Amino acid sequence: MILLQFIYSFFATFGFCLIFHVPFRHIVPASLIGAFGWAAYQYLLWLDVSAVLACFMGACVVGVLSEIFCRLFKEASLIFIIPGILPLVPGAGMYNTMLSLMTEDMLVTSKIATETLLMAGGIAMAILLVSSISRMITYIVVPSDTGDHQ
Amino acid sequence: MINPLQKKILMLALLAGEILLKSGSEIYRVEDTVIKLCKAFRIPYAEVFATTTGIFISLDSGDEALPHTLIRRIKGTGTDLAKISAINSISRELAFSDTEETGSLIEESIRRLEAIRQAPPYRLPVQMLGAAMIASFFTLMLGGVWQDFACALLIGVCSYGFSLFLQHIKLNPYIRYFMACALTAFLSILALRFGPGENLNAIIIGGIMIFLPGLAITNAVRDSLAGDLLAGSARALDAALIAATIAAGVGMVLALWVLAGGVLR
Repeated sequence: MILLQFIYSFFATFGFCLIFHVPFRHIVPASLIGAFGWAAYQYLLWLDVSAVLACFMGACVVGVLSEIFCRLFKEASLIFIIPGILPLVPGAGMYNTMLSLMTEDMLVTSKIATETLLMAGGIAMAILLVSSISRMITYIVVPSDTGDHQ
Repeated sequence: MINPLQKKILMLALLAGEILLKSGSEIYRVEDTVIKLCKAFRIPYAEVFATTTGIFISLDSGDEALPHTLIRRIKGTGTDLAKISAINSISRELAFSDTEETGSLIEESIRRLEAIRQAPPYRLPVQMLGAAMIASFFTLMLGGVWQDFACALLIGVCSYGFSLFLQHIKLNPYIRYFMACALTAFLSILALRFGPGENLNAIIIGGIMIFLPGLAITNAVRDSLAGDLLAGSARALDAALIAATIAAGVGMVLALWVLAGGVLR
């Protein structure tokens, strides 16, 4: 089940790489990052973790792998983060919010909307956390290297 | 005044910054690259300020002469990660090079930057394939069956092609997202009603995934974190607006469908 989800999200991220013009040699690593992020999210959901926390952890996986890959390939980390993060962006939550808005059940709507917003916030927090920690590590390892943002 | 060589360096740095901004780079990368290029060509004093809509560069030769400032308004942004990657490697190369033959190196760098600027994205059929893959595999990820997969494949191609066409005729991006997502929902309903589609929700969500503001969300955080609060909040607003227009586009079509007597779910 998780393996199937992993394969699906690999190809979905591959699609994002084609649209966003990720350099050809980086498409497979970037797609792998997206797949690992989504698989982590699905695995945590399967463990009955809340969707918000699962989304946060999934985005953390994407962020950490991106920082590792961008140093490995000497590239901008943006090239891996942007396609990788997209499967986690709560499009489904957004759609469900809109759907429940149409049924005029405000209680359900506010529940779904809050969860969707928190999921987006969780992704943002994860990117924030990972990039600031990676910047800190870069600073500790190479103190002279203050200007070279990856 | 500034000498012709320094003017060339200014244009070089500005070109690099402009390509970066138009490709969807973070602000700190733009500012960093511009400063790095100026430093690589021994400009004693260079200061740059960039937002999502413009770049301001100021150079000073360090002597009695007046400083030189250039402003470039940036219109229209897209996402082209290959350009960011290419400029990143050029600026890295120049920063570590020993600039003895400054004149010819500048000429060559400008030529290379121009080549990057004109480099096209992946060809249209490849982009269409990408859109089809996004829509169809997301449908599977959200519990669609193989009939949904086939429908989403076609819908992804149609809605992305429509969106590219609207971009080509220079429609406002938000209206473009609205219309493309309305088309996605419309085609999904058709697929459900007259085609083999089984799960309406899975097909529609697969279709709108193509248009989600992933770049805006990521850059909003990364810009704010780097201290570029102006650009960060602008991008956060952009992300929120895109999300709202996508929801509105899908919602409008579904509401009309319900009004016409259709059933959801």
